[in-house]
Amino acid sequence: MRYQSQRVAYPYFVVALLLFGLQMAFGLLAAAKYLGPDPLLNVLPFDVVKAIHTNLLLVWLLTGFMGAAYYLVPEESRVELHSVRLAYVQLAIWTAMGVTAVVGYVFRWTAGNKLLEQPFPLKIVIVIVMLMFLYNLGMTIHAGGRLTTTEGVLVAGLACTALLYLPALFEFDNYTVSVFYRWWTVHLWVEGVWEMIQGSLLAFLLIRLSGVDREVLEKWLYVIVGLTFISGILGTAHHYYWIGVPRYWLPIGGFFSALEPFVFLAMAMYAYYAIRRSGFSHPNRMALHWTVGSAIFSALGAGLLGLAHTWPAVNKWTHGTLITPMHGHMAFFGAYVMIVLGMITYALPGLTGRSEDARETSANFWSFWLQITGMFGMTMAFAAAGITQTYLERILSLGYLETQLKLQVHFLMLVVAGIVFVIGVALFLWDFFFLAGRPVTVPARAEPTPARSPAV
Amino acid sequence: MTKRAARLFFFISTLVSALIFTVLTIDSHRQFPKLTNAAAIDERVIAGKHVWHRQNCTNCHTLLGEGAYYAPDLTKITTQRGAPYLREFLKDPSKFYSEARDGRLMPTLKMTDKEIEDVIAFLGWISRIDTQGWPPRPILVRGSAVPGVAAALGVPPGQAVSQDPIEQGRAAYNATPPGCAACHSVAPGVNIVGPSLAGISATATTRIKSPDYKGKAKDAAGYIRESIVEPNAHVLTGPTYAAGGRSLMPGDYGQTLKPEQIDQIVAYLLTLQ
Repeated sequence: MRYQSQRVAYPYFVVALLLFGLQMAFGLLAAAKYLGPDPLLNVLPFDVVKAIHTNLLLVWLLTGFMGAAYYLVPEESRVELHSVRLAYVQLAIWTAMGVTAVVGYVFRWTAGNKLLEQPFPLKIVIVIVMLMFLYNLGMTIHAGGRLTTTEGVLVAGLACTALLYLPALFEFDNYTVSVFYRWWTVHLWVEGVWEMIQGSLLAFLLIRLSGVDREVLEKWLYVIVGLTFISGILGTAHHYYWIGVPRYWLPIGGFFSALEPFVFLAMAMYAYYAIRRSGFSHPNRMALHWTVGSAIFSALGAGLLGLAHTWPAVNKWTHGTLITPMHGHMAFFGAYVMIVLGMITYALPGLTGRSEDARETSANFWSFWLQITGMFGMTMAFAAAGITQTYLERILSLGYLETQLKLQVHFLMLVVAGIVFVIGVALFLWDFFFLAGRPVTVPARAEPTPARSPAV
Repeated sequence: MTKRAARLFFFISTLVSALIFTVLTIDSHRQFPKLTNAAAIDERVIAGKHVWHRQNCTNCHTLLGEGAYYAPDLTKITTQRGAPYLREFLKDPSKFYSEARDGRLMPTLKMTDKEIEDVIAFLGWISRIDTQGWPPRPILVRGSAVPGVAAALGVPPGQAVSQDPIEQGRAAYNATPPGCAACHSVAPGVNIVGPSLAGISATATTRIKSPDYKGKAKDAAGYIRESIVEPNAHVLTGPTYAAGGRSLMPGDYGQTLKPEQIDQIVAYLLTLQ
């Protein structure tokens, strides 16, 4: 850490991790409801729990991205953040928005649109926060007069995230049209511009952790992001197959989304190449674990498991079954959860005023392996349940309810694997809040630190 | 490859992809009215869409295969069950399902009558969207297209969960005796020994108006009752349905079933739209 104002990332990580913990509680509750019976049926039914589980994921990941960006941009542009105060105000409004949304869902205040359940006034708040955020980053880069490819891709990814949220503000009377544009936000986020964010954070971490030449890594970052958009933009079509759109979206979706694994394969190779060059020589070995883990797990979860059901002839049978959460859980975890945890693990020693290898990381180590194990188990449980559901419900035309009763054993495994995962998350939180030490306080108006020679 | 070439690759590929995507989006808009039967979107359908969102339905159910996976897909529900049944169901789902028997139960949403009508109209409109042949086979809420599959897999049809005549009728239909479900599927297009009874309510209404109809029934309920008690009143042709102008269905249900059981089975079959 080279700039005082980078420390503003710390409270962002605090909020992100607290919401991550809360997301786990609702995840476990949702999994338990699959097992049934549900004593909370009339108090906290599945739909509320599920909406909170997914919304918390989106909110905490975005909080993590924001923290990561506030950490990364000053360092890349070699200047203090434009306004630390604005960053705090932004975090306060953002957190208030997130908490209001969650409490609102419990009291059934919802827009009821999958993943975009935020009621309209909260959507406006989200837009305002994004604008504050982008303004702060933009002014910082402007003041620094230096824009690296890594931060350029990151900021472009964040700006596109804000831009692509705009379709969510509109309402359409035609449900098909509304679903069509819902994917402009949801798909183009997670399989488009968020991959820019993941790619740039990956590049940043690999440059720092492996010491491989920046020019080489940034060149490949362009290639990865290019591949992302070739496959991702037209790959939106794989959400369009059966919703009332023209038939040509089927072959387009099949072809272009079949290219998506190459993006993730490229990222995995990218990380592997960088680490092979340098070995595990960086003192912050856990940051390396999360970084390489993100590249590999997203290749498996988003790449391979996405490919497993993206072809129209397959999707015709699996569409709307538990095959989707199989892919969704591992993809989100690999691509976004792990990269944010990697960024936090990397930044933490600096934020708490320690040298990079000055702290015990066994809690983080166990957190890593328990999360990997738990998520792998959950993915397998969803896969077994999803394949069985496809055969029984879709091919044999056994009723939905009878089929679900036959899936109980997989739901049991889901709960068990979920508990393992949650223990991993709890260890990460414990490490962050109790073992890593207190953060160095941030002055509201940051004094520029004396320039140090940049490492890379 | 140089960094410059990589940057150029990124900009050009993104631009071209975005351009193609935009053109296809515009063309899709041109086709939406026909594919989605947009002319049929009236005030009621729009109000129903709001109910769908307000009640957060999509976080348990799927619609067009999208949503959550905790409750059945509803894309074609109105082509399987008639509005009167859906109305009764939405007022109190526990009359037809129980957690003990089915593992899941929909909470009672306390919707107004208007909200219920609206959401049924919305689902009716959804069912007519051109989904490119999806789902390839009917997705059933409960039961099985081919009778016996559920029982063979260890999930018997189960006892009725309430005194509601429709629910009593469903249980009787699936019980042996009388064994209705052994020959008649309730899934669309699945004709086993006897014809599928999917949509029997609507089919019966048109059939009694046909000049070929020989029986005495005046309405759908009467037709179904007549078919049970007196299978030869109106005989359908089909290799396993009839021989020599006589129905192959047992003719003694009038004696073996109690009158209230027949009433209940009729009430149940009338829900199959």
